[in-house]
Amino acid sequence: MKVLSKAKLEAALNKLNDQNEVFVPMQKGPQSGYFTWKSFENGQDELMLDALNVYQSPKNVVLPQTEKMYSIKSQGVEVNIDKTYEDAHPTIIFGARGCDVKGIIAMDDVFLTRGYEDSFYKARRSANTIIANACYEPGANCFCNAMDVNSLDPIGADVILRDAGDGYVWEVKSAKGEAVTALIAELLEEKEAKLPEAKPFTKKVDYTGVAAKLKGMFEHPLWDKLSEPCINCGMCTYVCPSCYCFDIQVKMWGDQGYRFRAWDSCMFEEYSREAGGGNPRGASKERFRQRFLHKLEFFQERYGTPLCTGCGRCIIVCPTDVNIVRIIDAVKEAEINA
Amino acid sequence: MKEITNKIQTIAARLFAEGKIDVFLAWEKGELDFQNKSYVARNAEDVKNIVFNEYSISNVSNSLLKFRDSHERIGIAVKGCDSRGIIRLLEDLQIKRDRLYIVGIPCPGMKDPLAAARNYGGFSKKQEEDGLAKKCLECIQPNPVIYDELVGPEQSPRQQGDRFAKVKAIESMSADERYKFWEDTFSTCIRCYACRQVCVACDCRTCIFDEMKPQWVGRENSTSDNMMYHLVKHAHMAGRCIECGECERVCPVNIPLMLLNRKLIKDVGTLFGGPEAGMQYVEGSKPPLSVYRENDPDSFL
Amino acid sequence: MPDQDNKCTCSEQPLVPIIVEVIDIIDRTPDIKSFFVKNIDGNGVPFQVVPGQCAMVSLLPVGEAMISCTWQKEQEYLEFAIKRVGLMTDELHQIEVGQKIGVRGPYGNGFPVDACKGRDMVFIAGGIGLAPLRSFIKYCFKHRADYGKITILYGSRSKADLCFKEELFDLWPKEPNTEVFVTIDNAEAEWDGHVGFVPSYLEEVNPSSNGAIAVVCGPPIMIKFVLKSLEKMGYNDDQVITTLEMRMKCGIGKCGRCNIGSEFICLDGPVYYLKQLRDLPPEW
Repeated sequence: MKVLSKAKLEAALNKLNDQNEVFVPMQKGPQSGYFTWKSFENGQDELMLDALNVYQSPKNVVLPQTEKMYSIKSQGVEVNIDKTYEDAHPTIIFGARGCDVKGIIAMDDVFLTRGYEDSFYKARRSANTIIANACYEPGANCFCNAMDVNSLDPIGADVILRDAGDGYVWEVKSAKGEAVTALIAELLEEKEAKLPEAKPFTKKVDYTGVAAKLKGMFEHPLWDKLSEPCINCGMCTYVCPSCYCFDIQVKMWGDQGYRFRAWDSCMFEEYSREAGGGNPRGASKERFRQRFLHKLEFFQERYGTPLCTGCGRCIIVCPTDVNIVRIIDAVKEAEINA
Repeated sequence: MKEITNKIQTIAARLFAEGKIDVFLAWEKGELDFQNKSYVARNAEDVKNIVFNEYSISNVSNSLLKFRDSHERIGIAVKGCDSRGIIRLLEDLQIKRDRLYIVGIPCPGMKDPLAAARNYGGFSKKQEEDGLAKKCLECIQPNPVIYDELVGPEQSPRQQGDRFAKVKAIESMSADERYKFWEDTFSTCIRCYACRQVCVACDCRTCIFDEMKPQWVGRENSTSDNMMYHLVKHAHMAGRCIECGECERVCPVNIPLMLLNRKLIKDVGTLFGGPEAGMQYVEGSKPPLSVYRENDPDSFL
Repeated sequence: MPDQDNKCTCSEQPLVPIIVEVIDIIDRTPDIKSFFVKNIDGNGVPFQVVPGQCAMVSLLPVGEAMISCTWQKEQEYLEFAIKRVGLMTDELHQIEVGQKIGVRGPYGNGFPVDACKGRDMVFIAGGIGLAPLRSFIKYCFKHRADYGKITILYGSRSKADLCFKEELFDLWPKEPNTEVFVTIDNAEAEWDGHVGFVPSYLEEVNPSSNGAIAVVCGPPIMIKFVLKSLEKMGYNDDQVITTLEMRMKCGIGKCGRCNIGSEFICLDGPVYYLKQLRDLPPEW
């Protein structure tokens, strides 16, 4: 097996950083998320590769919260688009857990298929390499195994790290993986390593049949009760590794500016508000229902896999204790009147 | 706390039986010990789900906004901070006093269910402390300021030392230092708007940040747009913030929002005097910035 | 569920508009204008559309909106009939001929012009809803022999709000085997035509459902009542076609907001048979 000893981790990150922008899971002061290795400050920040996960997901690397699209120059009747801002600088997400990898793979389905390839996402994603961190000890809120994710062998990872105590087993999975491996080849050792034992999931979730059952439950009264505590803040959508909805807006200073896109959330009231004032999802309950149906039913119908990756972040951050697992349970138990 | 729970349940049951209310707002337990959420009891049957424990930290008065356009008579259980929230809504003419039956709970201080959830979730390497929530340690008004019935013994404020110490520390920085501090802080904001949604004082039907014609603040997650969002939002809180601390508690990136709020409380207090927001209910009273008086201070103009 | 995975037909950068020139603007009603666009070099149109398809029209410094293309005249122009309702359309109504704007498209599935061949066509529209149907109507007249009897039933708030008056009163009634019925909501001086709402007028006119296809477009509330009337008149779910509408931003099924169930209205729609709609959540 190829093994990267933990003593050489920093050197490896530095080496990778020569030609790529490397994002690592980090506790940066009061923030917990994926930040650039370059910004790591010894003494202040802490690398979180051995923690379960971090609060903000790495989706920011391929779908930044704000992304410039194209420039606009407008003078009188003339208008010009001088440049478009596709960004293909090489990036590496180092240490992503299976749930986060699945989030990005699901976004690949959205942005790169069905007749149109989103040029901005494509540029970032083609230049991006995912080095995953296999997960041997699920957390209290983890249920990725029920949501089509293999935390020990995440599909879509270019390299998989396995924490074997003194070092990481370095498992190459793809051509992209080969390419980054070549960059740190002399830091890797060829030796045997004992893999940890995979602990069981404590949260038991049964998703089978939920998507199909939800198809007939759009008008079911359970949405009234479930949506009552929700305050439509949008935190769940922002920490979610697979929420991808975006808004497109414009920023102008006089006659120059640019169009950009930014994360949006189905929780916000103006998400579906039409110009004429109509809003098919004006009520809190309607937006709440939209979010969970999208995660648990619509995405499954359209792309064949659920959009919820079982990471548990929304469960931890929700200020009013809305819990997607309890919603799945409620759906399973719900009676449907014919 | 079990005693208080029982008392609230008894009162709610009585109000339903006497036909005096249509709904009762309080808290209910979640699945795990530390989970707690706002609850709407709609009949005597539901009353048994009402709970008041050390995690009942959320602001129940925020739920009143869901009922502002309808006519239900509402029973509501509130702590000190929540009760100030009710006064906020009364002053803002969002709800009428005669619709409410207020059960006041002098609050012994709450623990933060979000901190407990983070400890339970296992993401962090360090466990957060299991004591009272930060906002409760800074509490100046644990006893309800408006109520029809009180349950529980009077509590003492927990704020130690100078309430505005941290504000003064920032004030003593140079202008450049201060700007850098806030620029660094706001650059981490992810614009999730949780602070706006949990805030009782944010009761506009269409929030200024949701307007498109014209669009006052863009959606861009840049430092300048983030700053605009926070400065405008908190400026709208001047003279109205009830210091419940929920905004800072729920922020996923730990922005010290109460610094801004307390700065405004301090300044409004110095400039306009008078009781602080939501401390007493006098019918027809308005927050200081909603009233024009000829001798209003204007040195800052 | 759509299954196509074909490469994008419009461009490598589907979110970046093509700049075109507005070569003509015609006032249709007090708040609807027709904008005619052509390539900047005067040579042709930026893309081909089939009836029912839409494009994202953008006034670049202001914003974008999804507008159905009401007619493509070969390589001469694309015509968009745009109602002034919001931020972008307000500003768009103030531009003059010669202004450069952006368009990207064509988006949407378009009307099933081939599947409807040989059928009697009943077009029912309200207000600006006539604009998308006009593309189908004009297509039928262009290929007149391919379609049976054509009935057009249109209503608007007032006489001034009737869109495409020349077609309604002059051109279309003269077409072979074609009947045009126009109504306005309230009586007014100088109008001796029908007064009443579209659904009730439809039941009065009662075009035969035998082998016919009804195509409906208009305000959501009108569509709801018209669908009820059509059901009463004996139209099956596979005889009724309508176009749905939702707020759109990307136009290519990615930004997430225009979904009804798992369908994206910009990509999989906006044209649907009623039969398909029965399968979707009732959010329309």
